[in-house]
Amino acid sequence: MGLVESGKLPKPLAKLLNISRKYSIWAYQWGLACCAIEMGAAFASPRYDVMRLGVIPFPASPRQADLVVIAGTVTDKLAPAVVRLYEQMPDPKYVISMGSCANCGGPYWDSYSVTKGVDQLIPVDVYVPGCPPRPEALLEGIILLQERIAHEDMAERWKGEPIVVG
Amino acid sequence: MRTWPSVGRVSQLSSADTETPEAAAPQIDEAREAVLAEVTARLGEGVVGSHIRPGDDLWIRVDRANWVAAAEAAKAMGYRFFDFLSAIDWLPSPFGRDMDSQEDRIVSGAPAKEPEAMVQGYAGGETRFQLLARVYSITAGMGITFKCDLPDDDLTAGTWSNVYAGANWHEREAREMFGFSFDGHPNMINLYLPADFVGHPLRKDFPLLARRVRPWPGIVDVEPMPGVADEEGEGE
Amino acid sequence: MTAVSDPQSVAALAAEAVDNRVNLDFETEGMTLNMGPQHPATHGTLRIIARLDGEQVISAEPMCGYMHRGYEKLTEVRTYPQINALINRIDWLGSFANEVPFILAAEKLMDVEAPPRAQWIRTILFEMSRIANISLFLGDFGLQLGGMTAGFYAFRDREWVLNQIESATGGRFHPNFDRIGGLKDDLPKGWIDSSHTAMDKLLAFCDELEDLLVGNEIFQARTRGIGVIPAETALSYGLSGANLRASGVDWDLRRDNCPPGLVYDKADWKVWTHPDGDCFARTWVRLQETREAAKIVKQLLDTIPSGPVMAKVPRIIKVPEGEAYVATENPLGEMGYYVVSKGDLVPFRVKIRSASFNNISIVPWVARGAYVPDLISILGSLYFILGDIDR
Ligand code: SF4
Repeated sequence: MGLVESGKLPKPLAKLLNISRKYSIWAYQWGLACCAIEMGAAFASPRYDVMRLGVIPFPASPRQADLVVIAGTVTDKLAPAVVRLYEQMPDPKYVISMGSCANCGGPYWDSYSVTKGVDQLIPVDVYVPGCPPRPEALLEGIILLQERIAHEDMAERWKGEPIVVG
Repeated sequence: MRTWPSVGRVSQLSSADTETPEAAAPQIDEAREAVLAEVTARLGEGVVGSHIRPGDDLWIRVDRANWVAAAEAAKAMGYRFFDFLSAIDWLPSPFGRDMDSQEDRIVSGAPAKEPEAMVQGYAGGETRFQLLARVYSITAGMGITFKCDLPDDDLTAGTWSNVYAGANWHEREAREMFGFSFDGHPNMINLYLPADFVGHPLRKDFPLLARRVRPWPGIVDVEPMPGVADEEGEGE
Repeated sequence: MTAVSDPQSVAALAAEAVDNRVNLDFETEGMTLNMGPQHPATHGTLRIIARLDGEQVISAEPMCGYMHRGYEKLTEVRTYPQINALINRIDWLGSFANEVPFILAAEKLMDVEAPPRAQWIRTILFEMSRIANISLFLGDFGLQLGGMTAGFYAFRDREWVLNQIESATGGRFHPNFDRIGGLKDDLPKGWIDSSHTAMDKLLAFCDELEDLLVGNEIFQARTRGIGVIPAETALSYGLSGANLRASGVDWDLRRDNCPPGLVYDKADWKVWTHPDGDCFARTWVRLQETREAAKIVKQLLDTIPSGPVMAKVPRIIKVPEGEAYVATENPLGEMGYYVVSKGDLVPFRVKIRSASFNNISIVPWVARGAYVPDLISILGSLYFILGDIDR
């Protein structure tokens, strides 16, 4: 993809690429805490059914994933593992930070062992607030991410501001 | 069979009237008295304090030399279920009782406050750190809470893990949270905290740095509502 | 009381064999298997370091702390109502059940008691959170043993309970609904009828799952006789809840030592035990427990008294000096709070006795001599929630 990196991709081709990327997100689910169960409900339950959005939630390893949902509390002890996980994912990769804990520390804002926000460790694309966010909120986060992917200039990938679900 | 008190029974706190006549009559809890007597018989001088709340709970304070013997005695008496083992740091927090008042607004660099006097809870105590453990008897339907004083200069005690296998992890937790050590424990390594963690979080003088830097945003919650005369709401 | 069965003696022999092998000179070179911190089978961030000899586990040591959030310290700097909101998140699947023992401990110290209607609703919600918790276990355990379908069913039917909890409390997950002296609100209109419907659905789910999972040959092959825990060992490790009852100990805090403030004695229900103490027994006991919980809910729904849901308590809660320990039978086992108060807005010390912490501390003992795939069965059937281990 040398063309992509140099930003010389013809527009229609870029659009096509983006559309196909948008509807084939392989999401690695990293359930950390309570939010993981809501993520599970969003990803695995028939009621919310994330697959209709074109997200495939069962990659066996981070090496096959495009998206990781950090759902839950990241502690200082776990932080190196989060970074390692992120580094294992192939580019282009996206991160959704789900729940107040992953966003900013949440209810444990004054704890001695909790990392106050996963964005201190890895770049985050979408923040989904809530404690826990409803599965619908996570789905909205995914849709926003898809919108972002659709309009993405791949060379400029990391220059945009993160999205916050309202 | 319980009997329900009248609906909406008021608490003692809610008004200045005295209305607790029931508490005046001392009740005797024979079953727990008997348990206490048996523990005392087994440990002799080892029992240095006790407290019984009738119909509810029993506290026994033993001295350090008898800490493990207390576990053995309890197990021999049928208290086979291990509940938990932990500790209490009775030092009043040198940082003020966080969020109890505007005192919370001290920022880093401010001098620590004058500590209040140390007051130990049920069954008494002399030292800052007290071990706390609880065992339960399924047949008797009663629990015993053991306490044990640890002198500041030597925070060690015998291990319970040979008596109650479950104490193993609890002692590891007490070690990292309070800085104790347990003689004879098979595996004294950190359980929760990373190996390079500095300090013992559950000690009262361990500061929560996030809180020192930025006071609790919800501090207004504990202020009285404007216009409501509320004597209790004021922090000291 | 000790469960002596064939599987148990087999497991003891296996453990002995492992010991012997370790002592031999020509010991095969062991292998260290690291599971986690992120591994699907640990549903959360538990890390297990297992030493293997071929397929057999010589030792397995759980490393926890990846989800340690410092509850006990945080409770020292939060007021009682704030703590109530915080401790929801310990056992995140049965959140409402976490609040109850803490509230009861505070009520004991303050000498208040909730009005009957509040006690009834508390018990109902308590049992509903048990269902929400255990139904997910049943599905998830199936999933871990390779039966994906059970997981989908569990997620589907669990929503019925979550709907009820949400419509009563406003929160699917973390209701923060219990208050010292009662409840935040009364029940919404029509809730009782819809709860009956939901419970019927859950009972049907239990039947379905019994056919689908518990009766399944593969499932039985992977759980029967695996991870046997004798009663005496279970007690000394402090195992509680279904893990203890599956070892044949007939003990349930709801029946035997129910703290005032919950009304389990007003319903007719049964404590199930199983003599085997293996993974299958634990699953089976939990399945029965879900059924009983649904039955308790249905009975209490019919007898719910009228009246206020909140006793008269001061607006700003200061708990008088004292110490109290209150434990209840939570979905995972005995959960208790040892609250030390000095008469302030904040407690002086809160020791949280969480069930999973004790339940999982037996893993090094029970995994010895097991085979690698059995490790998954054992971990799954012991059923832990990371927040409940690490707090
Ligand atoms: S944001 Fe709330 S629900 Fe999510 S992990 Fe943190 S405490 Fe749990």
